[in-house]
Formats: sequence, C-alpha cells, structure tokens
Amino acid sequence: MADSDNLRENVKKEVIRIMAETLEIPAEEITSDLNFNTDLPFDSLQLYEFVIDVEETYNIRLPDELLDEVKTVDQMVDVVMKLTAK
Amino acid sequence: MLDEEEQLSQALVRIFENVVLTEEKSLQAGYFNDLSIAEMHTLTAIGPYDARTMTKTAEDLGITTGTLTVAIDRLVKKGYVHRERDKKDKRIVRISLTHNGKLACRMNSKFHRVLAKHILAGYDENDRKHILDLVDEVDEYVAQQLRRYDSSENVRATARQVAKDTTKENKKDG
Repeated sequence: MADSDNLRENVKKEVIRIMAETLEIPAEEITSDLNFNTDLPFDSLQLYEFVIDVEETYNIRLPDELLDEVKTVDQMVDVVMKLTAK
Repeated sequence: MLDEEEQLSQALVRIFENVVLTEEKSLQAGYFNDLSIAEMHTLTAIGPYDARTMTKTAEDLGITTGTLTVAIDRLVKKGYVHRERDKKDKRIVRISLTHNGKLACRMNSKFHRVLAKHILAGYDENDRKHILDLVDEVDEYVAQQLRRYDSSENVRATARQVAKDTTKENKKDG
C-alpha cells in the first residue's frame, strides 16, 4: 500500500473514531459513504462538536462555507487530507 | 400610506431590533442559555481560531479593555474563554475560546447563516445578487456615518445601550 493510501486510511479511522465518540455509537456502524445529514443521527450541536474535534486534531480550519460541500465521511477525509497537505 | 423614507427608516430599526431579539430568544431556548447576547458577541469577536490580544478584541467590540476584562472574567468562569499571558512578553494577555466557547460561537454563526439562507431562499439568482448589492450599499453608507464620529467607542456604546433598552421595552410590552 502506498504511503498516501496509508495516510488516508489513518485519517479515515481517526475521523470515524471522533464521529463515533461524538454520536456515542460503535465505530463499526459508521461506513465512509454515510451522509452526515441523512444517514447519521447528528444534531447541529453534535455536528459542530465533531467538526471542532477534527479541527483541533489536525490543526486545520473547517469554516461553514467549506462544510456546506462536505456531506459524507469520505468527503471529510478528502478535505482533511487536502488541508493537512498544505 | 407611509412615504418611502419613513417606510425604510422604520424597517431598518425594526430589522435591527428583531434580529437582536430573535438571537436573544434563540440563545435562551438553546444549549447556551447561560450566555447573554453581549457575551455571545464577545465570543464571536474573539473568534473560533487564533488567540487574540485583549486590546485588539476590545477595539473590535468598541469597548474599553477595562470593560472587556470584566466580561472575560465571567466567560472564563463559565468555561467559554481561556486566558493566558504571552510566553515572551508577560505584559500581553491573550484570550482564546475553549471547546465550549468554539461550539457556542459556531452555533451562533449558524443562527445568522440560517436566517440569511431563509431570507434569500425565495429569490432567483438575479434577485439575490440585486438584494446583496443593495444591502452592501446600505451597510457601507451606515458604516461611513459611524466613521464620521471620532470617538467611535462612545457611538457604539450608545448604540448597544439603545438596543438593550429597546429589547427590555419589547419584553415588557410583549
């Protein structure tokens, strides 16, 4: 597996771990294609708790304008990868 | 029928009052009901990211550092703000938001965004652009009037007091 694939896999695991902790559900129940708004039981407070935890973990900024485009776990991983590569 | 100037004048005052009042009510009904509107605006001025100096934050809010110190004392106690002295220059105090502070700040931004989204939702792209251009012009004109006063601090303090009094009056009446 290439380094970038490894890195992506690690980010995905961490994003899912944070999400599971916020929602208080097992990480195994979260797959990368799930939609934040329709498939996962986020209320708006939990969604921001998750977002802030991701920001603090990776020292990145996820403003609302950017979040509007992020709907799934996979898309969140893409954004984290992009912002941490800068 | 009201003439145009009177209609605009009344609408401007009403929009200002109602936005503040709605914001206050949504705060009271939500997760952060231990925060006042003024405290929420202080959190917004600090912002969810970098630590800021007391001086710059007070300047942005149009208040003295003394007034801000009192507000920050309360927000530190409530767990929304973290305060520390600069490691290199001990004279400088830096403030930043705690996890809860960031959460409150972002929920409040969301309130404003949702309000704006709903206002724009009923219009097509051309009309939305037109509305935004007009609002920008009004915004710039009012900001220009504010800049005419040398002591912006006094003007802002007065504006805030008026808003506060109006809110109290509305509550009493309603």
